[in-house]
Amino acid sequence: MRRGVPTWLLLLPAVAYLLLVFGVPLGNTFWMSISEPTLGLQNFASILTDPLYARVYLRTVLVAATVTLLCLGLGYPLAHYMARRSGVVAALLLGACGLCFWISYLVRTYAWTVILGNRGPVTALARWLGVEPPPVLLFTTTASLIAMTHILLPYMVLTLYVVLARIDANLIRAAHGMGASHWQSFSRVVLPLSLPAVVSGCLLVFIFCVGFYVTPTLLGSPRDMMISSLIANEIETLLDFGSASALAMVLLAAVLVLLTVYDRLVGIDRILR
Amino acid sequence: MRRPEAPSLANALFAWCVVGFILAPLAIIVPMSFSASTSFEFPPVHYWLGHYRTYFSSEGWLLPTLNSFVIGIASSVLTLLVAPPAAFAVNRREFAGRRALQVMLLTPMLVPSIIMAISYYSVFGQLGLNQTYAGIILAHGCVSIPVVLIALSASLRNLDRNLERAAAICGATSAQALRLVTLPLLRPAFILAGFFAFIHSFDEATISLFISGREVSTLPKRMFASIHLEADPVVAVVSALMIYAAILAMAIATFLRQRRPA
Repeated sequence: MRRGVPTWLLLLPAVAYLLLVFGVPLGNTFWMSISEPTLGLQNFASILTDPLYARVYLRTVLVAATVTLLCLGLGYPLAHYMARRSGVVAALLLGACGLCFWISYLVRTYAWTVILGNRGPVTALARWLGVEPPPVLLFTTTASLIAMTHILLPYMVLTLYVVLARIDANLIRAAHGMGASHWQSFSRVVLPLSLPAVVSGCLLVFIFCVGFYVTPTLLGSPRDMMISSLIANEIETLLDFGSASALAMVLLAAVLVLLTVYDRLVGIDRILR
Repeated sequence: MRRPEAPSLANALFAWCVVGFILAPLAIIVPMSFSASTSFEFPPVHYWLGHYRTYFSSEGWLLPTLNSFVIGIASSVLTLLVAPPAAFAVNRREFAGRRALQVMLLTPMLVPSIIMAISYYSVFGQLGLNQTYAGIILAHGCVSIPVVLIALSASLRNLDRNLERAAAICGATSAQALRLVTLPLLRPAFILAGFFAFIHSFDEATISLFISGREVSTLPKRMFASIHLEADPVVAVVSALMIYAAILAMAIATFLRQRRPA
């Protein structure tokens, strides 16, 4: 077939743009991590030795893992239900999840400040039930856990739904025909077939959660910082570019490792399909 | 009798509870925006339109809104200039390193925005691009490349290449085939891609927080500051307006899909 423009020319604008506006800033951050204030690895050494940093990393991983499990625990039954219902109900539920993609996560974070705030419905309910003093929820790790789960849940549900909806209902009928109970047909047929989606959904949620900045900053406890808040803090209050850059590089390395796992198991280019 | 593959009642109940969890926070925002209270009290004691009036008469809110529109439109136009040729190449041509390149073009979406935020902050600081429109537009354009790539890829792959072959047989040059056949067929995909890129920029908060200053503050930055520092109830109005817009956009999308059977 006749070719018009050579392939490299088609790629040039996007690749050049990414190199200049994505590669150069990232490279500069890497350079600052080993050169600010003096050339060497002292920024990374202090990250490894200072227990404060270790605590923040551990907390970030724990929070991300909790959010991932919550999303899976809430999202799987919903996706499973959507996949087994047809027509209007499935469309309605899909629409509810889809609507969330159109609404800024800042709006949803704001909603949670109202719900969990000390003049919000949760506190009112606790008072009404006679819990005095009512539990403090806002500006705690619990608050940011709830909000991050709420924000990331649609990603999990849609990832699972796409695969669950494609499972041939005849397989389930066949399992029942051969005497399987509801639980058996689920655990022996549906669950194994949906495992790739479970892995892909969990990795996606975990990767997004590890780097979350806005929601934990607005809802979480300032003492229980996550890594993103720590990076921002090093720059905004301490003006320590070297340390912030080194922390960012460690976060980047962790995300790249996770993305490599994702790529091996699922394939990043599958996102395009 | 229930079909064996039909979901159980417990499954149904749990699923509807989860949907409730997804929708409830959005549902409280609309009544909040009509609240007469000056704090984040819910449920509101009195209702009025005062916060809407404050929003529509306050430069402190309207200017960031305008900025977000300008930046969103400019960055999606920029991305639509840069990304579609690459989308053509990775979807329709075979070349060495194609997969690696696809992955590379998708990474801006997957790297945590806080890393990009501090990277832009220090590089743009040296170049004098902090607190300028150009800086934010460049940064948002970059993160929008994967968005446009994803939005265009499905349509590019589903496009019937026989239509282009037919154009070639009828004597069209490849430029004519592109201009008269391929691009018109892809127009809905381009509109969608541009729209997604716009939304992506319009909602982006982390990078804007670092590189936009007082003069070019975006709407998410302004909202962040209100929630963080003051408990300004006008945030509820902005949030409610965004929800109206989202519902409207979804309704239009559904309407268009039904009118044009795929």
